This record gives sequence, C-alpha cells and structure tokens, in this order.
Amino acid sequence: MQGYLVVLRFELFGLFVSPATYVASFYFLALLGFGFRFFIETFVNTDWILPPLSSLVIGLMFGSPALIPFLTMRSFAEEKRLGTLETLLSAPVTNFAVVFGKWTACYLFFVFISVAAFCFPLIIYFWFPEQSTTLGFSNLEQWIGCFLYLLTFGASFSAIGIFSSSITNNQMVAGMLTFTLLTLYLSIMAVSFGEISDTQIFSGFSQFLWSCIGSMFHGLNKMQNFSVGLIEIQTILHQFVVIFYFLFLASIQVDRMRK
Amino acid sequence: MSAEKKPLPIVEVINLSKKYGIIYALKGISFSIGQGEIVGFLGPNGAGKSTTLRILSGLIPADSGEAKVCGVDLAEEEGEVRQHIGYLAENNPLPEEFRVIEYLKYRASLKNLKGSRKRERIKRVLEICDLERKVSERKIGNLSKGFRQRVGIADSLLAEPRLIILDEPTIGLDPRQSAITRKMMDRLRGEVSFILSSHILSEVEACCDRMIILSHGQIVAEGTLSELQKKFLQSISFEIVSKATKIELQRSVREVDPDCELLNEDPVEVTGKRRFTFNCPKGQQAVELILRNLLENKDFEISEFQICRPDLETIFLRATKQNWKEKDMLGRGKFSDIN
Repeated sequence: MQGYLVVLRFELFGLFVSPATYVASFYFLALLGFGFRFFIETFVNTDWILPPLSSLVIGLMFGSPALIPFLTMRSFAEEKRLGTLETLLSAPVTNFAVVFGKWTACYLFFVFISVAAFCFPLIIYFWFPEQSTTLGFSNLEQWIGCFLYLLTFGASFSAIGIFSSSITNNQMVAGMLTFTLLTLYLSIMAVSFGEISDTQIFSGFSQFLWSCIGSMFHGLNKMQNFSVGLIEIQTILHQFVVIFYFLFLASIQVDRMRK
Repeated sequence: MSAEKKPLPIVEVINLSKKYGIIYALKGISFSIGQGEIVGFLGPNGAGKSTTLRILSGLIPADSGEAKVCGVDLAEEEGEVRQHIGYLAENNPLPEEFRVIEYLKYRASLKNLKGSRKRERIKRVLEICDLERKVSERKIGNLSKGFRQRVGIADSLLAEPRLIILDEPTIGLDPRQSAITRKMMDRLRGEVSFILSSHILSEVEACCDRMIILSHGQIVAEGTLSELQKKFLQSISFEIVSKATKIELQRSVREVDPDCELLNEDPVEVTGKRRFTFNCPKGQQAVELILRNLLENKDFEISEFQICRPDLETIFLRATKQNWKEKDMLGRGKFSDIN
C-alpha cells in the first residue's frame, strides 16, 4: 500500500492543526466528564448491573454520532470540493492507501479522545483509591474489556464516517449522513438490547455473514461480556467485517471518481 | 554501417477514445511527443484537452486505445507511469492551511523521495520556481495566485519527472507572472518534455515547439507553427500603403485575381495615403503578380507593400471552424453517423 503512511501522517497533521477538531473534542470530553461524574455520584441509587466503567463506554458510544462526523466529514468531501483529491491521486498512491490512511488518522484521533476519556476514572483511581475499589476501577480486566469494546466499535464508526465523506463533496452533507447512519446503527442495537443472541459455530460462509448482521443487532448486549473482561473475538471479527465493508465502499467511490 | 536508433518517444498515444455518457470526449486520437519537446494543446472548451491530459496523468482510464508514457503502458502499469509524470491540474488546487515547505515535503514523500534526495530536490525546485526564503515558510492560503501557481509547478517538478503535464498553467495570471512561468519552462527546455494546455495562444506560440489542435475530441491540426501556417493558410493577406482610392485599387488587384477581397481599410495617414489589407486565396505567386500590376500604375504611389504571416489565432480559428461546422452539440457528425 504505497503512500499509506504518508497520507496517514498528513491527515493526522491536518486533524491536529484544525481548531474545529479541538473545539469538538473539548466539548465532547467536557460533557462526557460531567455525565460520568453525575453517574458515579448517583450510581449507588441506580439498578445498574454492569460495572460503572461501562457507563463511560456507553457515553462514548452514544456520543459518537456527534463526535465522529467532526473527525471524518472533511476527509474526502472537502478534498473533493477543493479539488486537492485529484492532485493527491495524481501521485503514485493506490486508492485503498488513501482511504485506509484517512480512516486510520480519524480512528487514531478517536483513540486519542477515548484515552482522554478514560483519564476520568484513572483520576478517581489515583485520587480516591478507596472509592475506586468500591466502584471496581481496580479490576484490570474491566479496563481492558471496556477499552477494547470501544476501540472495536470506534473503528467501525470511523469507517462509516469515511464512507459518508467519500460519497459527497459537501462536508455538511457528509457530517449529517454520518450522524444519521450512526444513530440508526445505535438505535438498532438499543432496540435489540436485552434480546438473547446465540453464539454459534459457523458451518458455512452464509451463516457467518448472517451472524455478522446478528452481531450488529446485538452489539450492545456484547458489552455486558466485554465490561466484565470477557472478550469475544467473534464480535471483534464482526466489526472488522463492517470496517472493511465500508472502507471497500469508500474505495469504490474514489475509484468511480477516476472514471 | 548500422542504422541509427531513433529515441523512443516520451508519450505515444494510439487511437485513444473516451466517452462520458453519450458524449464522445475523445474519438480515437493518436500522437507522439519526443524527448525534451514542449507541446501545446489547443482547442475550444470541451474539445477534449483536459480529458487527454487526465488520461495521460493516470487519473482516468481511456475507454479504448493505447497510451504509453516513457515506454510504459498506462493501462497496465498506471502506478509506475505516475512516477515519471509531474502533473499540474487545472485551477491548481492546494491545501490552504499548510505552509509551502510542509506541502512540498508531503508531496515529496508521496512521490517516494527520501532522505538527502528529498531535501536536495525540495531545495532545487524552490530555487527553480523562485520560492526560496520567506515564501517557503508562508501558508499557501495567504499566497497570491502567481505564487500558488509556482507552488503547483514546484510540486510537479519534485520527482524529476520526464514528462510534465500543465493544464492551463497561466490561467488568471498577470503578464509578468505568465512570463515567469514561461521562463521556468525555458530553463528546463531539452531536459524534460512538457505538455501544455492553454487558451492563451500567444503563450503557446512563444514557448511551444509544436502544437496539437483539438476540436470535438479529434486532432484537427498538428505541427510546428510554420507547418500549420503552410497547411491552413494557403491564402495570403497583404497590406498596401497607397494614394489610390479603394475602387481603383480593387479594380487593379482583381485584374490578376478576381477572388481577392479587401479586408480592411485604415484611415488616411499624415502623407495622405491609406493602408489597405487584402486577402488573396491563390497564394504567393498571385500576390507577386498583383504587386507588379500595381507598380505599373505610377498614380498609385505605393510606398509600402507587406505580406502578413498568419498568427496562431488565425490558424486556430480556421482549424476549429471547419470542425465546428461539421459537428452537432454532442460532437456527432451532422451529415454522417459516427461508428
């Protein structure tokens, strides 16, 4: 994938110099912080059965439709509008390297924000060790499970954002489309939350594909396992399918522009 | 004695076609460009110039035909072809928020330049394009159009390409900036081949070795300026400064060539004479006879006689005029079907 690292570096640089990303990240983290604080304070009085750390993941997941568009909407839409995508594609780089590079940059920024969000429980862990033990913050497996779950879904959300950006040359339209698709995705998961999903061994490709769609419906259910440190490789693999599906579609879109 | 080997052309295009929906953008064009040649692409809007350039730069594929750049087939080794090409897109889109030097470093990395070679090439192109010192540290968004154009050209020169494709490089530039762009091309004359697409005919006339005129996706003329002059303008224009009246002069000229027509008549000069411009369709020999005939009449007091060489604009209009007459809005023949 010739040019992948160069595109990645350039895109990351673009995200880090853009004031819009900082403003969006700041407000997002501030709201998330207040929400998390409120949840921790009232946690004892709720009938929440999952570890408190999962509330942070839920906050990040449901906040993604507001955050991801800010990270991804510029990537292709703005380049198409300005015409710089043509200049980029005239260099010896492959379509997929461009798509993958842009996606990785947005995803890394999402990881950066997630790490910043995980600093909230970390602060509690260091400043209030007793309370944090009561809240279960001392269990490493919960940290790993929650973070992995977030990384997995963050990756597929970013891929959806990149795809949305690749089909239009108006970044506002790209942002709105990302918001709509992610809200739809989360709504499907929220509606199906609590339904029993089967874990099965696949005997054929069609069964595997069907289980991927099943995983999309029951994504939030899977969090119950991840939040207690039970990592489901199947869910991670399913999200990989979503990532590659949307990145492949974005790559086709870029290819279409060449025709 | 062994036969001398002819160098391979940098660009070789054979029967190239491209269609957008129902519109034929290119209809089987063929041409070649030699090492170090500067070739001007001319044609009215929608003639297929940009399509040809975008195909040659590997941005879009052709529907049929063959295009080779540096001996490499575009359809098979598109990625490798891009290594040999520097491309300046129409309107020269650049990212506004980056500094010139940052942008050139990024482009150099994209073109696989590394380490000392990368530094050396960036320094060299900054020097060629007069972008050194303070300009290289400025943000692209704050640069004037002329400087932005130089940044685009610097980018196209980065990887020492063997072919540079410039799509309307001087559009919107003032005459001074256009001259600087031409100077840059002159500096590289002979080393690199250029394809230059432009609407500014005087510019193409000044800096190109050869011209290709496109109209409705077809090449309607190709060659050096003198070749085109010979091919397209067999009829010759000539100017006479004389004391004779328009009617007298016309009668005398038409004695030799009845088809000769008066094109222009300038106001009376200080000497009391007038300047007449005629067009003679029968060529130079007929003009010589006309001159002899005019000189026999002493009352005409001819003080000046000049044969006017047609400029590129006249050739361009003649070359494209016939093609326009024959085609409809979609580029199809009005009188015959295209295959």
